[in-house]
Amino acid sequence: MDLTRREFLGYTVGAMSLMGAPLPQLSPASAAERRLKKWRVFSSNQSVLPESSAGYRAVIPPRRYKFEPWEQPDSMTDCSLVIMSSVCVLPEKLAERLRSCLQRGTTVIVESGAGFASHLEFRKHRRSLREGLGLHVAAPVNLWSPPRATPYVDYTWPTRTRVRDFTRLIPPAEQPGEIIAWADDLPVALRRRVGSGTLIYIGSPLGPALLMGDIEAIRWLYTVAYAA
Amino acid sequence: MKKAIGDNMIPRDWGFDRGLALIKQAGYDGVELWLGDMPWFQMSTTDAQVRDLRRKVENAGLVVSNVSTGLHWASPLSARDPAVRAQASRIVERQIETATLLGTDAILVVAGLVTDEVPYNEVYQRCVDGLKRLGDNAARAGVKIGCENCNSEQRFLLSPREFAQFLNDINSPAVGLHLDVGNIHDTGFAEQWIEIHGPRITRIHLKDVLKHRGRCGDQSVYTNLFLGDNNWPAIRAAMSKVGYDGWLIAEMESRYRFALDQQFHDTSHAMDRFITGRL
Repeated sequence: MDLTRREFLGYTVGAMSLMGAPLPQLSPASAAERRLKKWRVFSSNQSVLPESSAGYRAVIPPRRYKFEPWEQPDSMTDCSLVIMSSVCVLPEKLAERLRSCLQRGTTVIVESGAGFASHLEFRKHRRSLREGLGLHVAAPVNLWSPPRATPYVDYTWPTRTRVRDFTRLIPPAEQPGEIIAWADDLPVALRRRVGSGTLIYIGSPLGPALLMGDIEAIRWLYTVAYAA
Repeated sequence: MKKAIGDNMIPRDWGFDRGLALIKQAGYDGVELWLGDMPWFQMSTTDAQVRDLRRKVENAGLVVSNVSTGLHWASPLSARDPAVRAQASRIVERQIETATLLGTDAILVVAGLVTDEVPYNEVYQRCVDGLKRLGDNAARAGVKIGCENCNSEQRFLLSPREFAQFLNDINSPAVGLHLDVGNIHDTGFAEQWIEIHGPRITRIHLKDVLKHRGRCGDQSVYTNLFLGDNNWPAIRAAMSKVGYDGWLIAEMESRYRFALDQQFHDTSHAMDRFITGRL
């Protein structure tokens, strides 16, 4: 089921009005803007931060999400946006399906949930992302050791947005793609064209901020979804 | 009302038995056991050893008033790390288990900790979620979880109405307030907390507070009963108004430098005057 721009604006304005936040400045509707396709958030036993999945669930219109196991056949077809929330180890079969989605033009968000993982789990995480999606990630960083001056991640794409960090960061390593978020001088998120689609890697979970009603995080997600 | 004092007031080199004897001699009815504070009551203490603690308490002519812990300052229910949250839940579960073994029906939990790293909204939501689940466990065991108002230290649930909303959101009859009348500092009045929470109060910690000293450096704001700024007649009157007739537990932060046993006696006498209203 599709969501029109009018529906999108309705959800966004409604959510922001409820929270008493100033409304974002959105550009006027354009006839060229295409209708949105399906958005999907997938959670499975690979999701290690349930509150992150819950965050996406809280802000995405019910008609737009399915929290079905990714193993369901064809569950990702015809999606304009696929979100893998708080991923630890990415199974090869899932990676294969994500690659297929990317080739078809889907925007895929892979959110790392390995910040608090053990050393062994992190090594599996890093290997599965590298082998599955060609994503290279660096060792975890505890942003709060020593305490930070500002607790924020600054996103530079698709809109300039500031969202709270989530303590542990798995930075993207040097690789092809554009860094789209920073925590001070540390890269946090990366986007890369893959086939006709876009792969977005987020090294600091966004879902908890969504769950807590962070209006900037919600706006970032909607902007990505709308661009997909 | 009955009087108790924490086992963490017992000088470490005295041991549990000598400490219990002093508590009884000083006129208390019970003892509050602090999980993780003293060598005789740790997370690793077995059920058999816990039963032995109960036997010692009863042999001393006392009962266990409740099970408290300071372990949640290091392992809060509000932590971002799921492993730390799991440990926090395990601590509460062990408190519930040991409360049953010790023959008491109340535990104290420091619910959440707001820091510059972990913001208020996250702390609130995780605590509500965690305590809903733990409240079910407590209800099955016939134990009440008292969330302590550590207002200034937690930077959380700073007003009595907000605390009431928090308990409403948890919505469990097994989760209430363990009120510490000394923890409110200069953000409110203990007697108003008592009025607002009434039947939801599981236990009451007694200590006095120097409201204008501030929590800075290593200078404690807490002091012995009647030396600080609490309005004790008003607190006593509020307890009568809401019909609180449960345990009063002395929690003295500052300790006497000499004659360590004297603090037990002085505090007990002060509590007697408070209970009888001779203020």
